[in-house]
Amino acid sequence: MSDTQYPAPAEAGAPQEPARRDFLEQGVKLASGAVVFFAGARALASSGGGAPGPKDNPFGEEYDWNEHRYAYVIDTKKCIGCGSCVRACRAENDVPDGFFRTWIERYIVGPEGSHVDSPNGGIDGFPPASVAFAAKKSFLVPKMCMHCTETPCVQVCPVGASYRTRDGVVMVDDQSCIGCGYCVQACPYGSRFLSPKTHTAEKCTWCYHRITKGLKPACVEVCPTQTRLFGDMKREDDPVRKIIETERVAILQPHLLTEPNCFYLHLDKEVR
Amino acid sequence: MEHSRHVFRIALVLVVAISAFVLLRTLFVPRTYGDYGPYRGGNVVEQAHVREPRHAGSDGCTSCHAKQAADRKTGGHKAVSCEVCHGPSGIHVQAGAVKGKMPVDRSYQLCARCHRKIEGRPEKFPQVVLDQHVPAALETGVCLQCHNPHSPKP
Repeated sequence: MSDTQYPAPAEAGAPQEPARRDFLEQGVKLASGAVVFFAGARALASSGGGAPGPKDNPFGEEYDWNEHRYAYVIDTKKCIGCGSCVRACRAENDVPDGFFRTWIERYIVGPEGSHVDSPNGGIDGFPPASVAFAAKKSFLVPKMCMHCTETPCVQVCPVGASYRTRDGVVMVDDQSCIGCGYCVQACPYGSRFLSPKTHTAEKCTWCYHRITKGLKPACVEVCPTQTRLFGDMKREDDPVRKIIETERVAILQPHLLTEPNCFYLHLDKEVR
Repeated sequence: MEHSRHVFRIALVLVVAISAFVLLRTLFVPRTYGDYGPYRGGNVVEQAHVREPRHAGSDGCTSCHAKQAADRKTGGHKAVSCEVCHGPSGIHVQAGAVKGKMPVDRSYQLCARCHRKIEGRPEKFPQVVLDQHVPAALETGVCLQCHNPHSPKP
């Protein structure tokens, strides 16, 4: 069967055969050349552009982001609405006037209605309120970035300016941010805004310049009633970790599956 | 072999296009992009050093302001950080050296922020209806006539 003769199509076009073979050969050479070129360019880029420190920790010796995973607890029963946290955040982070990385909301709730206010974010506290319905309960709820594990804001960023660090902090790279505002719209907690100064997205960083030095965020540092607590889930004896593990904590808007890392104690159903 | 000119032309176009792509990519993609994920890795350290911390807590105040610190330990404000009323210590002391004056707010509004009776505040927290509690005019210093802010008695 092996000697079955098939008409060789090449014989018909004999003069073209060498050219086609040449073409293919050179094509193969070109392709392998391109592969070598790309490999070389990659090698060059990674040798020249790599950070000097170890690849899994950008900080070198001063701090290791793999050894921390931060979490935040807010006890709404303790908040007195003094606004110290909002003022401290402003002083610590140069937050522009009229914008807030953290703020306080007041809820006044009755069977016939509910009333929510946050005069200037609660920065100067709250005045007495009068509502048109019979109020049965009222409480104050500090709000801020929830530093979600499944971040809607990072997912929509078209330029990779929003990201979540390995120690669990969601941040914005203001050099990369183009100020499109998608993340501001995507955040279900209203935690982001476009800075009128830089025209880039701005948000709570849990005071990353403080926590990487072992300090607490400014809002936690000044809270006079210990409403706000900051801790590290990778530390065995951490009091905040203990609260999250043993108490009945709630999160805002759990139906969105954003997996916030900011937990509430004594949260009311009225709070969104 | 006259056909090899076609190959060279295509090769040339390809080489130019690929070189342009590689060049533009190196120019426009930040150096540390993608080190730890789809973002500029260098920003993490930049954020950690964006500025020096401005709030330092109450421990640093004690060394110079021993009397106020001792007062504070015994009274109702023992859990209240100095910086709640006085603002960030960074404007006063930086790296151990006195930099500037700390603002001291003696207004009744400072006290009212925490102790005015309002809706929403926990019932058990000490609070007063301002115009019922203060016999004199509501003006700066009126609270301090009776209360020591560093060690208030309930």
